[in-house]
Amino acid sequence: MTTRREVLQGLIVSIGGATALTACGGVANVLSTRPGSAARFYTSEEYALVTRISDLIIPRTETPGAVDANVPGYMDGLMTDWANSETKNAHRTALRQIKGELDQRARGNFLDASDSLAEQSLSAFDAAAFAEDGDTSGYKRVKGYVSQSYFATEEGATEELKWVAVPGRWDPSVEI
Amino acid sequence: MADFDAIVVGSGMSGGMSAKELTERGLKVLVLERGPEIIPERDYVDNLAPWESPNLDNVAQDEIAERYPKQYGGVAYAIKESNKNFWVRDDEHPYEEAEGTSYDWLRGYHTGGRSIMWSRQVYRLSNLDFNANKTDGYGIDWPIRYEELEPWYEKVETFIGIAGSAEGLPQLPDSVFQPAFELTDAEKALKAKVETTFPERNVIAARIAHLTDATEEQQSLGRSNCQVRNRCHFGCSFKAYFSSLNATLPAAERTGNLTMVHNAIVSSIEYDAETNRVTGVRIVDAETNEKRLYTSKVIFLNASTIASAMILLQSKSEAFPTGLVNRSDQVGRNLMDHVSGAGAAGLISGFDNQKVFGRRPSGGIYIPRYANLNGQDKPYLRGFGFQGGSSPLGNAGGRIAGIGRGFKEAHKNPGPWRVNIGAFGEQLPNPENRVTLHSSKRDRWGNPLALFHVTYSDNEHTMLAEASKDAVAMLEAAGCTDITANDVSLTKPGNRIHEMGSARMGHDPADSVLNSWCQAHDVPNLFVTDGSFMTSSACQNPSLTYMAFSARAAHYAADLIADGTL
Repeated sequence: MTTRREVLQGLIVSIGGATALTACGGVANVLSTRPGSAARFYTSEEYALVTRISDLIIPRTETPGAVDANVPGYMDGLMTDWANSETKNAHRTALRQIKGELDQRARGNFLDASDSLAEQSLSAFDAAAFAEDGDTSGYKRVKGYVSQSYFATEEGATEELKWVAVPGRWDPSVEI
Repeated sequence: MADFDAIVVGSGMSGGMSAKELTERGLKVLVLERGPEIIPERDYVDNLAPWESPNLDNVAQDEIAERYPKQYGGVAYAIKESNKNFWVRDDEHPYEEAEGTSYDWLRGYHTGGRSIMWSRQVYRLSNLDFNANKTDGYGIDWPIRYEELEPWYEKVETFIGIAGSAEGLPQLPDSVFQPAFELTDAEKALKAKVETTFPERNVIAARIAHLTDATEEQQSLGRSNCQVRNRCHFGCSFKAYFSSLNATLPAAERTGNLTMVHNAIVSSIEYDAETNRVTGVRIVDAETNEKRLYTSKVIFLNASTIASAMILLQSKSEAFPTGLVNRSDQVGRNLMDHVSGAGAAGLISGFDNQKVFGRRPSGGIYIPRYANLNGQDKPYLRGFGFQGGSSPLGNAGGRIAGIGRGFKEAHKNPGPWRVNIGAFGEQLPNPENRVTLHSSKRDRWGNPLALFHVTYSDNEHTMLAEASKDAVAMLEAAGCTDITANDVSLTKPGNRIHEMGSARMGHDPADSVLNSWCQAHDVPNLFVTDGSFMTSSACQNPSLTYMAFSARAAHYAADLIADGTL
C-alpha cells in the first residue's frame, strides 16, 4: 500500500504526479505555483518540507487538507511575489531550523520518516514551540502561513470554514 | 456670464453633499475632482472571494516600501492588493514634515474621495462641544450652537442612513436611526458591568452609516441594506454604506444640474478686487497638464482640510498677498485630528459556546465621552470616546497549538471571546499646528508641496494616559482576564484621518476665516465646508458634522443667489 508520505514525495519529484492528490480539483489560486510544477522560490528540499509539514498540520479529513488545497504552491507564490528579501531570508532560516529540529526528533531525515514518526516528531516540536517558554523563532510564523493560506483557498474557506460570500444578516449570538 | 452657478472643489464626503443640495436647489453645479473617475460597476472589488486575490490580498512588501510607505504605515488594515488604487501613491504625491515632527496624510484621489474608504462611524456633536473653546479658553468661540445645526443633522441623516440606537445622552445627541447592529452577548455583558460600576459611562452600539432598513429614497438611488460582509474598504456593490459615490453624487446627477470633471487639480482661485468676489477656479489637468479656467457665481471648497487650506494659500493677489481670505493669518493653522494610542483588550468568559453569523462592519460598541461633562473634574481638558468590539479568538493564524485533525477543527471552535476598546481623544486647537506651502518643493503639476508642523500638547498626553487606565479599569470591572494594555503611544497627528480646523469659523474676521455659514468673512461668495471650518475637534468622528454644515451652507448660498445678493 502506498503511504501518504510516498504520495507526497511523488508530488515533489514528479511533474504531473500530483494530480491524484488534487482530489477536489479546481484549485485556481491566483499566482500560486501549480501543483506538480517546480517551485519558484523553494529549493526542492524546502518544498518537500513545506509540503510535508503542511499536510501534517492540516491533513485531509472529511474536508480537503492543505496539500489538496495547494498550500505549498500558495506559500511558494507568497514568497516569490509578496515577500521582500528580508522576509525571504527569515523564512529560509526558519525552515532550516525547523528541519534541523525535526531531523533530530525523527533521528534521521524527517522527510524519510514514517507517517507515524513524522507526526510524532512535528507534534512534539509544535508542543515545545507553544509551551510557555517555547521557541517561537519562526515555526509559529511558518504555521501561520500554512493556516492563513489554507483558509484563503476555496477549499479551506468554503468547505472547512463554511465561509459565505453574502451573509445577508447579522446574528450576534449563535449557540454552537 | 459665469460658466456655472456654483463650483464645488472636491467630490468627497462634504463635496458630494454640497453638490447634492446645490443641484437640488436648481443650481447648475460643476464638481471638480482631482483624481480619476471611479465607476462602481467597474472599479469596486468587494465581490472578490478570498481565493480570487493573490498572496492573501497583501501588497508586495517591496511595493509598499517604494510606493505606499506613509499610507500603508498609517492604515495597513485597509490597504490590500485589490484596493490599493483607492489610496494615493506616496512616491507620486509626496509631502514634507517640519524637522522633529511627523504627520500622516492618508488619502485617496478619485470620485468620492475618502468617503469610499472611511470607517463609517457617525456621531453628532453637542453643545458640550460647541461651548468647549469658550469654556476653557483654548481656541476661539464657535459662532454657532447645536440648536442651529440640529435640523441639518436630521436632514443629512435621513438621507445617508445610520444604523444606531437612541440613548438620550445629552453629550451625544441621538441621530435619525435605522435599526442598530445588535451587540454580541459578550458586549452586552461588558455593558452591564461597566454601566453598573461606572454610572456615568455608557456602552452603546456603534453608530454607523450603513443601511439596515433602506428608505424609498435610498432604494431609488440603487441602495440596499447592508449584507454584513465587511468588505466596505473595497467599495460596496449594494451601496449599503454611505459614500458620496453611492449616494450624494447620484442624487446630484439625477437633477440634471451636475457636471463632473475629473483629473482637475486646482491650482488657484481667481479673485476680483473690484467686486470683492471670487470668479473662477484655475485647474491643471492631471493627465495632460492642460490649464483651464472655470467660472461661477459661488465657489465651495471641499477639497479636504489640508488641500482647501493649500488652495487658499496658493491663491495670492494684491488684496490678499498671503493667500485668499487669509487676512487673519489663520489659514492652515489650528490643524487638528483625533488622537488614539490608548486602549485595552481582554478575554471575557462565559461565551465559549457562541459564535456569530455575518461579518459586522465597522466596530461594534462605542463608549461616549464621560469626562468633564459637568464641569472640570479630570486632570485634562475635554475628553475622549472609546470605539471597540468583541470577537471569538477563533482562527488565530498560527497561534493555535497542535497539529492534525485537532488543529484543523479547533478553527471551527470560536474559543474564548476577546473584547477591545480604543480611545479617540479631542486635540486642542493650537495655531502653531499648521500646514504651510513648502518654499521651494513642488509637485509634478507645479503646485507647492504641503509642509506639516503638528505636535501634541501636554493635554493630549495626559488624556491618553488616563484613558489607558480607564480602559483597563472597565475591562477589569467586566471580569476580563488576560488584559493587555500597550504602553500609551500616541498615534501620529493625521493618523485618525479626521483632519480639521485649517480655516476656522468664528465671530471675528480678525481671528477667523469663516462665519457660522462656512462663508468667508472677507469674500461673500466663497464657502469652505470640509473639515477646515471646525473651530474645535470634539472627540466624535466628524464626517456627519461636515455634511450637516455643508447642507446648511449650500441652502444659505442658494438663498443668497435667489435673492440676488450673490
